[in-house]
Amino acid sequence: MVLEVKKPRPLWEIIFSTHHTDIGLLYIIFSVTFLMMGGALALAIRAELFLPGQQIIPDPATFHRFFTVHGTTMLFLWAIPFAAGIGNYLIPILVRYKDMAWPKLNAVAFWMLPVGAGMVWLGFADLGWTAYPPYSIIRAPGPAAELWIFGLKILGLSSILGSINFVVTILRCKHPDLPIMKMSLFAWSILAISFMQLVAIPTFAAALIMTYTDRLGISGFFNPALGGDPIAYQHLFWFTFHPEVYIFLLPGVGMLYEMIPKFSRKPIYSYQSGVIAFMLLSTIGFASWAHHMLAVGMSFTEKTVFMVGTLAAVPASAMHVFNWIATMWGGRIKFAAPMLFGIGAILLFFASGAGGVVNTALPLDFITHDSYWVVGHFHLILMGTVSLTFTGFLYYMFPLITGRMYNEKLAKIHFVAAFTGIIVVFMTQHLLGLYGMPRRYFDYVPLEEWIMMNQIASTGAWVVGASYLLMIYNLLRSSAKGVFANMRDPFNIGEIYYDYRRREPIH
Amino acid sequence: MGHATIEWVYVGAVSALLIWVGAAAWDVERVLEHVPADAQTIKVIGQQWFWSFEHSDGTKEINELHVQKDTPYRFEITSLDVNHNFNVPDFTILMDAVPGRINTLWSQFDQEGVYLIQCREYCGYSHYNMKAQLFVEPKLETAAAETAAAPAVAPAAEEQKPTGDVTLTILEGAATQGNPDYDPKELSVKQGQTILVDNVDAMPHTVTSGEGPSDTNSGKIFDTSIINGGESAIIDTADIEPGTYNYYCSVHPYMTGTLKVE
Repeated sequence: MVLEVKKPRPLWEIIFSTHHTDIGLLYIIFSVTFLMMGGALALAIRAELFLPGQQIIPDPATFHRFFTVHGTTMLFLWAIPFAAGIGNYLIPILVRYKDMAWPKLNAVAFWMLPVGAGMVWLGFADLGWTAYPPYSIIRAPGPAAELWIFGLKILGLSSILGSINFVVTILRCKHPDLPIMKMSLFAWSILAISFMQLVAIPTFAAALIMTYTDRLGISGFFNPALGGDPIAYQHLFWFTFHPEVYIFLLPGVGMLYEMIPKFSRKPIYSYQSGVIAFMLLSTIGFASWAHHMLAVGMSFTEKTVFMVGTLAAVPASAMHVFNWIATMWGGRIKFAAPMLFGIGAILLFFASGAGGVVNTALPLDFITHDSYWVVGHFHLILMGTVSLTFTGFLYYMFPLITGRMYNEKLAKIHFVAAFTGIIVVFMTQHLLGLYGMPRRYFDYVPLEEWIMMNQIASTGAWVVGASYLLMIYNLLRSSAKGVFANMRDPFNIGEIYYDYRRREPIH
Repeated sequence: MGHATIEWVYVGAVSALLIWVGAAAWDVERVLEHVPADAQTIKVIGQQWFWSFEHSDGTKEINELHVQKDTPYRFEITSLDVNHNFNVPDFTILMDAVPGRINTLWSQFDQEGVYLIQCREYCGYSHYNMKAQLFVEPKLETAAAETAAAPAVAPAAEEQKPTGDVTLTILEGAATQGNPDYDPKELSVKQGQTILVDNVDAMPHTVTSGEGPSDTNSGKIFDTSIINGGESAIIDTADIEPGTYNYYCSVHPYMTGTLKVE
């Protein structure tokens, strides 16, 4: 049942299946497909910015559509579905239950994704992924904006259904012999983000409906011409999407807790500290949303409150980093590709966390706000930490999914190229921001420094893009022709790999 | 299981560092929030896709802002359509321009020169091209400042509508993408004739030669610069070589037309 590709089955049997591994596989294939599609848009954006002036994208409106769909795709069609896919695959195995609590609901939640994705891509809106009013209400062209709004509603509903399923599976279907404080930290991370999604998403869902009725002209919640307040939208938006940052991040943190002890051949340094840090992050994560809005004209008191709220979340992230380093410390580390991706992700997590502290320190925010610094910062966390971890975990799960091994050498080349590429692109973008270049610019003033840094960033982006094409080649080829994996211990670590029949948690 | 002491020490060190960063940031920001009592007020209005400024003496400027060195200024920033962000990177001036709200911040310029004003909040088609120039000029004595300000007001007093041989009208509603803009779209004139560009729209527009904002030869052949809503400008074709020229509106680059000089 676990071996998907080893025993070939007709395609329709996987597509209409309600088994958790089949749905997990569909989620993974779906999300990796959209990672590549969103990545193609990013490369087009980088090609456009390689030189000042109009390059390959015909006009500014198209450019705006590119970065909107790129952002929406990477967040909602790559990061969230990939975590849901791995969750689907592993959670029933880790809590030792036969399947998810509600298999049919699980299938419904997955099949809402292609519908929402289709609407986002067919509309190709130009709102920016944040869709700030009044632009999104009074100026954004329809029907693209309407398709974006309803596409996101469907994706949000899918996340809510998935979250309910995870919460019930973990809390109600966990094997009675497995105490919750012995449960895998990956299961803890999925539990944490499921609760966060249930609390956070309804706020944005409401804001989307309000945006839609405002567009119809029958309400004026965010329309100043009708007495509304555009800043109210930003509060509703970021109340969902700052916690969402942790929703993207925590599954990655959980995956690192799965991989690091195994490849270090040591138990986790402090299991309790990991659990406590999850609880802290998933609650304090709700106390910092307005640090995205420090420049909208808030009072000094409000700004101070949200700066403190933001800084308060940092020690919990630092606890995770400490835990990983302490786990690796003195271990006999096996530097297989998944572990390399994990270590790379930890290094960049540290860098992006430090950048986040700079962003929230009030006077400094007015240098970095809405500049390329911010673009570099959030890409460092989403691409450098979240996506590198996810990629490493995809390699780690590959034997479990296919029963075969990927090509280790190509995977290592992928890591080296992706890691250096990411540093080149996003560290350069930090500097570009300090030189004053704003984000979301179709064209820029031909200053020598700006041109040079944009060219460095574009080159790095193409290296990352090429490395991911290599991954796709490696995974496709290996799933058909790779050597059969030793399913007890495919990485030769000396520990039992996932065995869904009699897996004991390692502690 | 690990040793809790090491972790407590580590968490304590991280927290101490963060408290220091937060306290230092708060302390700087506290000073920045305090506007000096003698600050002059400048109203800043963002619109798709240009900046307009109004000084405390009533002088108005579009896409150019003249200020004096070492004088505190208090900016009252707002927008008339969508969100913008008033940004002068060289002086770390950054504040959202939000319709229906007036945001304030203050600054004092300590170096003379010309600096870039840009928009940092995504605002649609020409977001990247919503630029203005900041001129920091030497500080004048109070008496001299009054005489210097006087001629700037004078031209506004002359209410004289110019006339031309041919009229090019900028139609009402032209600022919205897709609406009819220039009338006629293709204008033919004989060399030496003057063209009256009559802006009957409520928004400011220009007639600027070139293919668009990324054309480096923009405005080299003819350029009316900003014509406010309801006002007009003259293009003299005496110095223009015969030929066909494309032009566009530098505020709304999707407004385009052609001029044929015979």
